[in-house]
Amino acid sequence: MSCHPSDTEPSSLSPAAVKEQSVALVGMPNAGKTTLMNALTGGNFKTANYPGVTVSLLRGRTRPEFGASRNLIDLPGVHSVISPSPEEELAVQVIEGKHAKVKPDAFVLVVDATQLERHLKFAGLVARQKKPTVVALTMMDLLPRTRIVIDPARLAETLGVPVIPVDPRTGKGMEDLIGELDLVTQGASLPYTSNALAELPREPVAAFMQVRNLLKQSGSVMHSNEADSVTAKIDGIVLHKYLGFPVFFLVLVSLFAAIFWAAQPFMDAVDAGFGFVGDLLTSVAPNSVIVRFLAEGVIGGVGVVAVFFPQIMILFFLMTLLEDSGYLARGATLVDRPLSYLGLHGRSFVPMLSGFACAIPAVFAARSIPARRERLLTIWILPLMSCSARLPVYSLLLAALLPAAALKAGLSLATIYISSLLVGALVAGLAARVFLKYRTPSLLAMELPAYRVPRMKPILKMTWARGSSYLQRAAVPIMIVSAVLWLVSNFGTTADRIIAPTPKDQSFAAALGHQMEPAMHPMGVDWRVGVGLISAFAAREVFVSSMAIVFHVESADEGTQQEGLLQQMRTATFPGTSQLIFTPSSIVGLIVFFFFSLQCFSTVAVVRKEMNSWKLAGLQLLFYTGLGYALSVITVQSLRAFGIA
Amino acid sequence: MKAENDNRFHLEQLPVAKPLSLVPLASTFRIERLDGPVQDCNRLLDLGVTPGEDVVVTHTAPLGDPLVIRIRGASLALRKREAAWIWVV
Repeated sequence: MSCHPSDTEPSSLSPAAVKEQSVALVGMPNAGKTTLMNALTGGNFKTANYPGVTVSLLRGRTRPEFGASRNLIDLPGVHSVISPSPEEELAVQVIEGKHAKVKPDAFVLVVDATQLERHLKFAGLVARQKKPTVVALTMMDLLPRTRIVIDPARLAETLGVPVIPVDPRTGKGMEDLIGELDLVTQGASLPYTSNALAELPREPVAAFMQVRNLLKQSGSVMHSNEADSVTAKIDGIVLHKYLGFPVFFLVLVSLFAAIFWAAQPFMDAVDAGFGFVGDLLTSVAPNSVIVRFLAEGVIGGVGVVAVFFPQIMILFFLMTLLEDSGYLARGATLVDRPLSYLGLHGRSFVPMLSGFACAIPAVFAARSIPARRERLLTIWILPLMSCSARLPVYSLLLAALLPAAALKAGLSLATIYISSLLVGALVAGLAARVFLKYRTPSLLAMELPAYRVPRMKPILKMTWARGSSYLQRAAVPIMIVSAVLWLVSNFGTTADRIIAPTPKDQSFAAALGHQMEPAMHPMGVDWRVGVGLISAFAAREVFVSSMAIVFHVESADEGTQQEGLLQQMRTATFPGTSQLIFTPSSIVGLIVFFFFSLQCFSTVAVVRKEMNSWKLAGLQLLFYTGLGYALSVITVQSLRAFGIA
Repeated sequence: MKAENDNRFHLEQLPVAKPLSLVPLASTFRIERLDGPVQDCNRLLDLGVTPGEDVVVTHTAPLGDPLVIRIRGASLALRKREAAWIWVV
């Protein structure tokens, strides 16, 4: 191979420069790919889904000061090509050029300087593809914490690929990286005698030996197997026999506190904003059906979801923060024992935690679980986790059940939350043993990354990218369901004519409700509650607003709306009788129903996509909703048998 | 059984391999072989848990399982049943 110096490249428009190049960032997890992505794009990236599978990736463009614009893709990190998780499998497909749609022109191979052996062994896979490749050496700033010594120039010579030390946190080395990328993609011949990295054996033991020899040749000193001093100290606490769990619970409690309390003012603001826009629209033409449809059905419907946006953003933010700092892997280690007993995986704890805010991001979070069986089981129990959409429903029902007993209501709510976790554990344990013939857990072998102080800017960008993609994904189906619901509950037939707006008890929804009446009686409620339950499939908290509609609560003010509804509920009777609908037994029955039932079409749609199976998503819907109905009927009837009305 | 109380004469002391799940914390051992399910062991090899390497069990999780091991400059959480596949001397 020739050894021409390559700094005299012609600047004419080569074919490669005309078409925008796509460059994939590849490497092992925790190598610093996302931070590098952030530095190269100036934070201008967004999550996108791979065509075909729902593993999301980050896409962005290089900043203008880095010359010709390049399309950057951040591939999921790969631990190993053997029994890979869906994320890993996808990254390997792209690297090997086997992916139908994503075909990068060049690779930036991100290598953690503190883990050279393992990362360079993985690099063999990338180098074998013989595509233009530049190694970005990250975590150089951690080297003083260890006894590792690296000479990047000699390393590049030995490996036969350009090696650029970078610090994406400070922006150091970015220009060199881009410059080198320009050279290799313009087909400049490299000043290296051979590409030793591409000649690494595929067999891991031999490959590791080869890597060690290469590192020796390059003059790198690698004799440290100890964790850096900071990581060792922190792990001494968070994995401590007695301190480990208190720290873990402290982290969880802070997380929940942030999700529920810190988010509240923002949620109120979003709620008020949507209410204001709706009212404004209605005031334009208060009697127009179309205006009312837009205001109540469409804007109101989106508002119902958007209310949860602050909560989900806070969840994403804190999860990204915990992940970046390195704590999430420790948390998964702490709870792996009980979870693997239930047929779940240490990593299942992240989706389960997210499930207490919303099942949809939780289903996405299950992607990091390697074995399909454990991923399936995790997704299966996620609808049981008491998501925040249930909160308004529970607070209404508990206020009706325990009037003027805030403490009791609060304790009941806490019981419901803890029970949802315990029931989830029970369902997982049973399902694993009965249906999945669970005997032995899949391999854990989970890497615990070195602790790093998280950088706010990339985390905020990441949070925004994840959160807005969630909103886009969830908004459309919920808007459609809510619009349809508004139509069926406001249109109806009277004397063979479709009329609108119609009195509520003559709407299509009411007609449907009357059909449901026989099914509602065993639950101790009438068709009006049935309409509320059906409408709650758009989102559970819609139950509250539909109950206000079907029980004719006329109040524009939010604060008094719940009070008015409670008033109505206290006096509501079965039509034509003086028998009360909302008795202690029927209210408890409704709580039981909401506890189990999968009343969320968005979750069904997301599970369908994630597991690529209508059957599974449908089965889950039928299982939980059927279970909820059956247990609700059993609860109501046995309470009544014991003399509790 | 303490070593200093053991004053019998030993002709030879061959190191006997033991599973990583049974070794004391914070001491370095050398991996002799892996002996477990093929696919799982292959992934372990691919992650760098290869014969001839030095390995240290650094932590035991509060519930006694998993273990945290240190190998090739990385920390890995391994369940005890997985660590039992790794025979060390």
